Amino acid sequence: MLGIDTGGTYTDGILMVYASREVVVAQKCLTTRRDLSLGIEAVIQGIPMADPSAIRMVSVSTTLATNAIAEGKSGRVGLLLIGYDPELIASFKMESRFATEHYYYFAGGHDLYGQEKAPLDLPAILERVAAIKDQVDAIAISAYFSPLNPEHEHRCFRAIRGICDLPVVLGHQLSSKLGSVERATTAALNASLLGVLKAFIVAVRRAMERRRIAAPLLVVRGDGTLMSAAFAAAAPVETIHSGPAASAIGARALSGRDDALVIDIGGTTTDLALIEQRQVTISENGATVAGYKTAVKAADLYSIALGGDSHIRLEGDRRLAIGPARMTPIACLADQHAGIQSHLQTLMQRRRSLIEPEALEFWFLLRAPDGAAAPPTAQEKALVAFLGPGPRPLPEILAHLGLFSRQQVETDHLDRHEIIGRAALTPTDLMHVEGVYTAWNREAANCALQVMARCRGCDPKTLADEIRAKITATIVHATVCFLTGATLALSSETKASGDFGQWFFHNSLRDDHPHLGTRFALRQPIVGIGAPAGILLAPVADALHTELILPAHHSVANAVGAAAGSIMVAEELIVYPRVAADGLETVGYYVQTKEGRQLYDGLQDAMTAAREVSRERAFGAALRSGADNPQVVVEERPDGLDTYRIRATAMGSPRLARRRRPGKTPVSDDVRRARRRSEVAIDGGERGEISHGTG
Amino acid sequence: MELVEVDTRLAYETVREKIVSLALAPGALLNEQALAQEIQTGVEPVREALRLLVYDGLVTFTPRHGIYVADINLTDLEQLSEIRLTLEPLCARLAALRCGQDEWTVLEALRAQQLAADPQDSQRLLDIDHKFHQALTRAAGNKYLARSLDLLFGLSQRLWTVVLPKLDFLSDAVAEHLEMMDAIRHQDADQAEKLMYRHVKTFYDRVRRILQTGK
Repeated sequence: MLGIDTGGTYTDGILMVYASREVVVAQKCLTTRRDLSLGIEAVIQGIPMADPSAIRMVSVSTTLATNAIAEGKSGRVGLLLIGYDPELIASFKMESRFATEHYYYFAGGHDLYGQEKAPLDLPAILERVAAIKDQVDAIAISAYFSPLNPEHEHRCFRAIRGICDLPVVLGHQLSSKLGSVERATTAALNASLLGVLKAFIVAVRRAMERRRIAAPLLVVRGDGTLMSAAFAAAAPVETIHSGPAASAIGARALSGRDDALVIDIGGTTTDLALIEQRQVTISENGATVAGYKTAVKAADLYSIALGGDSHIRLEGDRRLAIGPARMTPIACLADQHAGIQSHLQTLMQRRRSLIEPEALEFWFLLRAPDGAAAPPTAQEKALVAFLGPGPRPLPEILAHLGLFSRQQVETDHLDRHEIIGRAALTPTDLMHVEGVYTAWNREAANCALQVMARCRGCDPKTLADEIRAKITATIVHATVCFLTGATLALSSETKASGDFGQWFFHNSLRDDHPHLGTRFALRQPIVGIGAPAGILLAPVADALHTELILPAHHSVANAVGAAAGSIMVAEELIVYPRVAADGLETVGYYVQTKEGRQLYDGLQDAMTAAREVSRERAFGAALRSGADNPQVVVEERPDGLDTYRIRATAMGSPRLARRRRPGKTPVSDDVRRARRRSEVAIDGGERGEISHGTG
Repeated sequence: MELVEVDTRLAYETVREKIVSLALAPGALLNEQALAQEIQTGVEPVREALRLLVYDGLVTFTPRHGIYVADINLTDLEQLSEIRLTLEPLCARLAALRCGQDEWTVLEALRAQQLAADPQDSQRLLDIDHKFHQALTRAAGNKYLARSLDLLFGLSQRLWTVVLPKLDFLSDAVAEHLEMMDAIRHQDADQAEKLMYRHVKTFYDRVRRILQTGK
């Protein structure tokens, strides 16, 4: 099996033996942010394998969805809100939570009992869609209480598909929760990601084919389970947080621990997750991405902007700061450009007052701008020309451009197209100085540390200790916040502030009060993941008085997690009462699936039917998603107002590709299935809707 | 199609569009590698997409010779017109009898789009006309009829594209749609059937003349 993870800095690939979960080869490539598929293609091309046709499954976790939303690179969406109360939404100022500017209100929707609240205003909807259809890439629909009765969403879907070819996403198919704003946000984000994920999957499969890998492609969900690529293309919003979730699954697979705190130190961020009884804990509330609260089920995570490539710098008052920006380590830059080390050596000779704190930040050209990436402004052109011959320190750049502060330099465009890069002192450089990691120029890292120490007015050893203490404090702080849900400002002020929370936190970290000893004691071990975990987490484990486990291959645990996950499909049905016209008497119970509802006389009959139907649907869906012999668990819980939720979860290991015999090209399962499918296509179009553009 | 791989679907849609718009000419030899390069997918999804297009009657596999875009010829045209002249009027009749409120709303929305469209933009008018026919098949409420007509639509689309630049009959079609909607609103099945027969027959007569005489 091939597992791949695209992180913020590195794209990792591993080759794993399925039965024994043994990692055979691991490969790391730099992530190409402008087009993640380039990094994936590099990993698939680069990973050494004797017989690519022996690969029977490929599984990918990706930050693509999260990045696209955060960077505004996703598609434009028209969001149709049916039966929502515009005044209510406005009074809570919730419009900004819809994740699109194009949202429109229409009459319609259902009530708490699944009864029509108002007739659906289809003519108005079609008129609006006709007006906006050339300005958006997809349509999202969310109707009030649609999980209880999706009739209006279905009618809209049918009508809209009758007048235009845009993909249409229905809210109730993504979430059976009743929170109407979260459902609308989820539908809108999902619609905006359709094109992004489709392009990504096409690129991955193209790279697979180039290596002659003929195997099913699976994508990791935000809760660490797997789904088929076709499913992911229809529900891209479910890939939110898939990277950190995969790392937690990988940590569990590699360490064999059933209960642990997983700390994954990447290049850009550090992510915390918890494993309890062999499972990654899932957040009860939906995942939040780029400030948008969704109804997507995802791993319970805590993420901080601190990683191996975080920017270590001195601020104006020479105070030490780490992150949040991601930098190329100086050791790495000096490895590629000979001038850097001698430049640093000159700096070391300079008088302290002449060393600016920004002197350690270098900018350089990553690649020559071309076509669409050509710099649009004169300032950017001047910058690119100035960096042409080689990297320059920031003070020189500012002097050349005649500016005073870096805030005056507009580099958004150049950053987005990955034309300029920045290098500075990072934790990775510190690892070079200490000799624990020496892939690049150690001497340059050493010089940089000395320059910073000189600027700060201390010796390098003290500075290194301070940096490490700060990193430790940051991670311990994150751990405490994650596990307790408490919030506490992380200040570098010590216990003198008089605030009890601050005193307690800092005393527990150092435990140097003459009379009162306090300390943190984590009950579970820490499983460290990521390349810098070894050096950065040892003091964290000490501070938390627990054991640090660094499993073999921990630096590629995310990719392991991608390959080690199980396929899961959940089907949730809602059983709720049908009330008589006077609203006082219950005259039966509905069983509501995603497509329609069925009425039963008694609650017992309804519940029995719901259990059976949910079990069957989950089982079938898991088989279609590529699970082998899925096991189904049915749970039920009351949801107030005589309403019950029956949830069937089908889980199974991925069904692996059969090895093909060379010579004959068989008609693939896809085509065979498509043929069968085409026989019932119209039927599907009439009733069981497919909510996304299927051609 | 939801069970088809994402890249196969992309290749299917792209190649189908090329064939229907005559960017790939009838009878042209298809090269899987070149198509894969153009669509930026692998070769395998293109291969599978072409197999799906064989089922649509738009691509033919010839053993030992290769893969071709299906030809358009007079025999096909005659056979196609025979079956459409039977099924389309039936569809219009059923639509007049069964058209529901939602289906009617869609027809009206398409009608509004048709009126708003630039009369010179024949591609757009063609698209609306196609959707109008599809809306009628939905209104007719017979899934087997819908499936048959869908296949026939796909095959007729290329004929539309051939004759499109040669004559301006889309404006006639606009008027005919209006009449047809009147008949449907009054649930006049006989009238709807008659109008549709005339609509389809006029179309095939013109296409036949163009293919035979070139004008």
